[in-house]
Amino acid sequence: MNLFNIPANELLQHILNGLTLGAIYSLIALGYTMVYGILKFINFAHGEIFMLGAYSGYYLYYYLCTPDQGGSWVMISFILSVLFAMILSAVIGMLIERIAYRPLRRAPRLAPLLSAIGVSIILMNLAALAFGTEPKNFSYPFDNSVINMGTTSITPNQIMILAVGLIMMAGLKLFVDRTKLGKAMRATSQNQNVASLMGINVNVIISLTFAIGSALAAVAGVLIAMEYKVYPSMGQMAGLKAFIAAVVGGIGNISGAMIGGILLGLLETFGVVILGIPQGMKDTIAFSVLIIILLVKPSGILIRNIREKV
Amino acid sequence: MKRLLAILFSIMLLFTMACGKGDTVKIGFMGPMTGGDSNYGKLMSQAVKIAVEEFNAQGGVLGYNVELIIEDDQGSVEKGNPAIEKLAGIDKVYGIIGAVFSSVSLAIAPKAEASKIVMISPSSTHKDLPDKGEFIFRDVINDSMQAIVFAKYLYQVEKTNSVAILYVKNDYSQGLAMDFKTQFEKEGGKVVAMESGLKGDKDFKTQLTKIKGLSPKALYIPNYVEEIAQIIEQAKQLGITAKIYSADGFSNPKIFELAPKSANGIIFTQIAENRSQVKKDFITKYKTKFGEDPDIFALNSYDGARILMNAIKQAAEIKDKKLVIDRDKVRSIVAATKDFDGASGKITFTANGDLVANIGIWTSENNQYKQIKAYKLENDKIIEIK
Repeated sequence: MNLFNIPANELLQHILNGLTLGAIYSLIALGYTMVYGILKFINFAHGEIFMLGAYSGYYLYYYLCTPDQGGSWVMISFILSVLFAMILSAVIGMLIERIAYRPLRRAPRLAPLLSAIGVSIILMNLAALAFGTEPKNFSYPFDNSVINMGTTSITPNQIMILAVGLIMMAGLKLFVDRTKLGKAMRATSQNQNVASLMGINVNVIISLTFAIGSALAAVAGVLIAMEYKVYPSMGQMAGLKAFIAAVVGGIGNISGAMIGGILLGLLETFGVVILGIPQGMKDTIAFSVLIIILLVKPSGILIRNIREKV
Repeated sequence: MKRLLAILFSIMLLFTMACGKGDTVKIGFMGPMTGGDSNYGKLMSQAVKIAVEEFNAQGGVLGYNVELIIEDDQGSVEKGNPAIEKLAGIDKVYGIIGAVFSSVSLAIAPKAEASKIVMISPSSTHKDLPDKGEFIFRDVINDSMQAIVFAKYLYQVEKTNSVAILYVKNDYSQGLAMDFKTQFEKEGGKVVAMESGLKGDKDFKTQLTKIKGLSPKALYIPNYVEEIAQIIEQAKQLGITAKIYSADGFSNPKIFELAPKSANGIIFTQIAENRSQVKKDFITKYKTKFGEDPDIFALNSYDGARILMNAIKQAAEIKDKKLVIDRDKVRSIVAATKDFDGASGKITFTANGDLVANIGIWTSENNQYKQIKAYKLENDKIIEIK
């Protein structure tokens, strides 16, 4: 393992850090990729849904309990808050689609893109106005003390991020591949007109796509809020990174978004460690990856499934 | 149409005349009022408000009230430049309390100097600041002194010989990190890692994992609370056992909210404690008015505002029933400040406008700050003051 002159235990730690970061990117990337698969446009307001999810979870959580007391009620409130955040974000996602994108569905492709950027700016500033710009601390619902495995350490929250991320992604994959609604989604993504001729209500399917993507983003929002606090601009960079992850995996491709997210998380961690990229330029890694992918393989790294877009 | 325009312009002219009459003496405050660091700006501007109210209650400048203009720089140079342009060009302030962050202060100092605006920064600790001009002052200890005393303390008193540094790339954090490294190595200690991040970064795990592998005895993080909160939480999550040290950026109580489980037991440097009556009175007043405790920079802001307004008062005179204030005179009175009885301690400026000060070694305990020891620097030696 001494290929890069990093001690094995440290390598393991970096992998772990990269995986947790990547799991979050993947969760958000799914929303981008699903919407792109169906509507062929990039929902730039997705990062803000992630942020609103974090805020709604935060407010219900602190309304229901005092996290520092600990105990089972805190855990229950946490679960309720996550569910609440998912539902609220799903509703917001559908509303945004209804108000800002649906009227533009027949417009040139640039129009909904600009509309999305507008929605993103409006939501972020509204959040700053309503919640204040100061970061808020989102306490863990459990004791987040480190678990040491030899010299590598992992926190319960990291385990939770990995587990929840995996479950959510597997669930989505099953839903899209195995259920009737999933089939309808795939059909809509291939050809809206034909899908509607087959009796599929395209509008409902599109709303559903937004709802699912937004709910996943809300989960990511709450999970990341505990690590990095809640603040109005939290969706900006996370949203961009997730977008890059979606492109890396081949935008429109669900498995691609998952792999792209994990890959980006690992790349960001290892770019600094192995390539010796200065820490301050960490964010440039993601954007360099985007540029390279767009130049070399614009369809993303997973081309085999390119026909089946959702 | 022409007539309409004429009327419109006459009204506008009237307005400008009404504004130009100037029945108040304006001073400015500049700092982050929004954004992640807004708590610094909030606590400090509140202190200046108290100083202005007190000053006006005592008669103001020859019967003219002082008016405080608060400008938000969001802690960034990009927002700081337009803010100083407004204060200098539109408000024509006589002095500024601020800016809060070193990078912003360094950026706006040339404009303040050119417009003959006395600038007293309550919190910009970068060593180069006072040399930026004759009108540039600060009533906070400078970084290099803080770093030098702390390096000597860590090596000589705590007998720590290996330390890792994690700083953020801004003037404040980087300045402290570099000065500390130089001094610590001069003492004979070893800096095993010098890692950095960017302001606004949330994830420091990569750097901390590297540091963990080197197992230093101490970790020095001279940053602002937003980053400190992330670093100390993540250090704990990675199981880093090195003792954590910081500088006066740590003195913002917001840290206990942002990192409630990790913020206690950290040792940091800031100005030595002062138990004067002025301080007690100020804190009582601050608490009753705003319902929260001032931080150390708020004390500095209060003192700075009082020094500034007293100087304006002394420099002012009434000529032809109009208030005339000589800007150069204001500057020379501020520069001559000696043993001013402030809330932060006795204030004396050096020839270039820096503060003469003692350094305290502090710790955080039960969500409170407490001074452990105090030192003064004399002939390159640290001497403990009891």
